[in-house]
Amino acid sequence: MISFALLDWVWLISFTLLMVIFGMYFYRLGKRSESDFFLAGRGLPWWLPASSVYATHTATDTPIWIAGVVYKYGFAGLWYAFFSAWCAVSAFVSTKIFRRSLAYSQAEWQSLRFSGLGSEMLRGWVAGWQVFMNMFILGWVGIAMGKLCGLLFGWDLWLGLVLFTSIGAIYVLMSGYWGVVMADFQQGVIAFFIIVIVSIWGVVAAGGPDGIISKLKTYNSTCEWKVPAEIADQSRASIRIVDPETCKIYAQSPAPFVIQQHRDEEFFKWTEDRTLKLVTDVIPQRSQNVEILFPGVGDTLLAGYGYNVIWTAGKTGKRVNIDFSLDEGQTWANIDVNHFDGQSWRINPFSFSGFSKGRFPVAWFVTMMIIALIGGFGMGTSFDWYTEAQRIQSAKTVRDASYSIWAGTALVLIRNSIWAAAILGFFVIYPHLGRGTDYEMGWYIVGFKYLPIGMVGFLFAGILAIHLSTVSTQLNLGAMYATRDFYHHYVNPQASEKKLIRVGRISTFIILIGSFIFGTIIGEEITQWLIFALWIMAAGVWLPNILQVIWWRFNSWGFLSAWIANLGLSWLVVWILPRFGIIPELPDYIQFWILMVLNALIYLPVTFLTKPGNMDHLVKYYVMSRPIGFWGPVRKEAIKRGLLNPIE
Amino acid sequence: MSLIRRVWTPGAADEWRKEDWIAIVLSVISYITLTVGVALSFLLLTAGFIILGVSIVITLLMYWVIDPKLRMISSEYEKKQKDYLKRLEEIQKWEDQK
Repeated sequence: MISFALLDWVWLISFTLLMVIFGMYFYRLGKRSESDFFLAGRGLPWWLPASSVYATHTATDTPIWIAGVVYKYGFAGLWYAFFSAWCAVSAFVSTKIFRRSLAYSQAEWQSLRFSGLGSEMLRGWVAGWQVFMNMFILGWVGIAMGKLCGLLFGWDLWLGLVLFTSIGAIYVLMSGYWGVVMADFQQGVIAFFIIVIVSIWGVVAAGGPDGIISKLKTYNSTCEWKVPAEIADQSRASIRIVDPETCKIYAQSPAPFVIQQHRDEEFFKWTEDRTLKLVTDVIPQRSQNVEILFPGVGDTLLAGYGYNVIWTAGKTGKRVNIDFSLDEGQTWANIDVNHFDGQSWRINPFSFSGFSKGRFPVAWFVTMMIIALIGGFGMGTSFDWYTEAQRIQSAKTVRDASYSIWAGTALVLIRNSIWAAAILGFFVIYPHLGRGTDYEMGWYIVGFKYLPIGMVGFLFAGILAIHLSTVSTQLNLGAMYATRDFYHHYVNPQASEKKLIRVGRISTFIILIGSFIFGTIIGEEITQWLIFALWIMAAGVWLPNILQVIWWRFNSWGFLSAWIANLGLSWLVVWILPRFGIIPELPDYIQFWILMVLNALIYLPVTFLTKPGNMDHLVKYYVMSRPIGFWGPVRKEAIKRGLLNPIE
Repeated sequence: MSLIRRVWTPGAADEWRKEDWIAIVLSVISYITLTVGVALSFLLLTAGFIILGVSIVITLLMYWVIDPKLRMISSEYEKKQKDYLKRLEEIQKWEDQK
């Protein structure tokens, strides 16, 4: 728990009032029309949606996630957060095409690109899925705020969730997207300031840039090991360090250590302290010999708990494998393969562990780059697309839309890199943490522990800014799908502007309440299932999301069949078949390629066995949006009808 | 004919040309160098500043290549936007078409 000084309260209260009043100030603009309430009248210069892209994608759980991957993988962890780079391509491809379509939402775009019953089914599906996901994301980030407030102030979980999400809802209900985007600009500036200040503090606390680099070069090697929970009580175990190519054993535990099932708090603390001391104090040996420092003789480890195996970094070469044995060296199980010896690999963003093995294989990196960059040719290949789509349409011109997406994402990448430097500093101070839940809070710990008195309130105001920017966006976006794609399209197509804004506000309120319910029931398991649901979206429909943009013959039935097939195939490939031992448990990047191919075997025949989309509809869409790719027959028809100049 | 076209007619700007592909490639390189450059620069490493400098140059080059084309697309499209918006609302009010 932390205590606030008077200056902290001044920072917090003034920033909160500033953000809320600033958002409410645009009430008069927000209530003018449906277009104003959800797209700020389509009249924003590029830098406003850009700041909104950046602010929205900086949530309370983002530093937790970035800290987790950078602490674990060093600067190479930055590529885990590089998926947002789909905007590098999208800014000049799908952003341009989507902006020209003028669709309010991705759901509405389905009825512009496709025709007939299939397009309506797609619109309903996308809109329903989005309303659900907006509620879930709101609950997710809301409960993250609740946990943070519990940690900092000792509040009940629900209080942080309800209080701070409701503050965001005030200006969303009043001003709609005008309030969201204007407050986002202010919140983005505050958040960026805080991120830079805390990160500088983190780097300085670790001894400055030189201190971090020199410590990384001299530290002993560490490797994260979660002791398997099923190991029997009082088992005797050993560790060994092996050359991955020659299988030469560099080092082996001189005597077994003990693994026990029950936690002994006193011993537990002793182990933690001993680990820290080993990593920071023991001078690395400069001989050919490698010595395992932890777990060592007399140590007792807890089954199911995370530790760092520690050994002196010798001149062993670049990579080592780390194994453990429960039968005095008769058989060995792997802890990590191709692990870099020493710690200096952490400052190399390209410290690959091999083509397909180890914690950071080239094959994973290439897959991730393809998903992110080629995904920019499509729409919806990343979950962030749905929020970006709203920002694209709110830009006043096609050019503004392209630059807003490009610049907003550039800010996201800059932010990630600044965080990463601070997390390396955190690693230098706390190198012994072996559990994700401990080191994932690294950036927050740096802020609350090292910022001077009076600045903690400033930090919390920054956290509040990033929370409000995410919450306000999701509330308004979910309300847009509910209003535009359900109410306006199906329930009351003749509704007046006044009525639509009222429905927009009611939808915002319903989504707010839904998010509270989600937030309070979200547990680890539900979160894992929903992350799996997001993964389903990414894997099998990744290519169809591109095909719908670049290939005229891809029709609504092909796209629908891709969604439905993907639901079943994902379960099979990810859960069912490995469970029954029919296929091994595969790394996620291999699952991606398998799902992509299997899904294509379904949606491609469906596409060719059903009629192409209505040519009138396709021509109108083509002339309006000018998509890239394979649109030859539609283009010819447009020229024939005199809608395009043949010499162009 | 220059390598990079800087003057566009409305019809030509609407087509996908090599300038689009050049901008996309530069954009990707810019993002990668930006990510690496900022992280290493924050640790005051010389390589970081050099990579960051490369990123800035590439970004400016990307802007120089694509901006004239984007400007032309935008100005031409805005003339038609009002009609397109009218059509969008017609689709929304689908009951009228039944």
